[in-house]
Amino acid sequence: MTFKNFVKELSGKDVEGEIIKSVFISVITSLILLGVLYFLILKNVENLIPKYGFYLLFAVLSYAVIISSMRQVRAYKNFACMSGMMIGMTIGMIAGFLPGFFIGATNGMFYGSVFGMGVGILFGIWNGKCCGVMGVMEGTMAGFMGGLMGAMTSVMMINDNVKAAGVIVFIISGFILFGLNYMIYHETRETKRQITEDQFLTIILSFILTILTVWIMVFGPRSVLFQ
Amino acid sequence: MKAFTYFVLTLIILAVVGGFVFAKSKDYSPNSNVVANNGGEAQKVVIGMKNYNYYPNTIKVKAGQPVSITLDESVTGCLRSFNIRDLGVSAISRTPDQTIDFTPTKKGTFRFACSMGMGTGTIIVE
Repeated sequence: MTFKNFVKELSGKDVEGEIIKSVFISVITSLILLGVLYFLILKNVENLIPKYGFYLLFAVLSYAVIISSMRQVRAYKNFACMSGMMIGMTIGMIAGFLPGFFIGATNGMFYGSVFGMGVGILFGIWNGKCCGVMGVMEGTMAGFMGGLMGAMTSVMMINDNVKAAGVIVFIISGFILFGLNYMIYHETRETKRQITEDQFLTIILSFILTILTVWIMVFGPRSVLFQ
Repeated sequence: MKAFTYFVLTLIILAVVGGFVFAKSKDYSPNSNVVANNGGEAQKVVIGMKNYNYYPNTIKVKAGQPVSITLDESVTGCLRSFNIRDLGVSAISRTPDQTIDFTPTKKGTFRFACSMGMGTGTIIVE
């Protein structure tokens, strides 16, 4: 039951063994989509990569780590209240903060907050329901707070190393989600896998989130400071 | 494929894409349209604060001539951090004596704002 066992399981055939594969599939899906969009529409956008490239890349990476953790939660389906609340809170907060941060940096606080809250609350509820209404409430609150905080942080740092802050925020969020993966592994040793599914949900979620992010960042509405 | 292979492949792809984004971003600088103050006569602009915003919040200046913006003592809080994003101007004026000096070379209408985007206005470069 040690951390060593968990690290060993990451390359095993159980649920934890699919985490890295899910990250890979999500990243590949999003990058292929970005490539197709670039040659179809985005290549005509002036200064696309300098303006949005960094934020798009990190948004794609954020979705990959969030979606792979969601897959682990879905596999076990039901959790005790304490674990379920932690799952709802962690995924809601990170899924709100990261998109809020990256959209906030390109479109301003209002649109970053709305998008961050939308994604955070949706994912918070989706994952929090593994333990019932307590997890759902926790996920809702965390998504709400994360979305607002992410956008606010990036807008306040817009003239103060916002890109470096983005890297730091992503690394910390990745570490927290890795901690969540370990916690889920720790809490489910007596439980069997409840749902076995292919990577369709990973692909479809990555596709939808990437499309939405590109549309909002490049063509979407923006606050007065960003016009 | 093994998890380790996926991990390595992900890292390689990210290194390639990240390197591409970094290389493309290198030449882009929003400051490129601003030249150093050339020592000519500066166009002096004094901005105050009214209703939690800059006042006046529309200012006109001439292109190619130095501009010196003074935020008077009525301007407080984050509005003392003054930014014109498109001209690459970003400065904190702690007291009215600390002027914000720059030379716009590009004609057009640009937005200016405090660092939080709370106070906003327009600068017209003719």
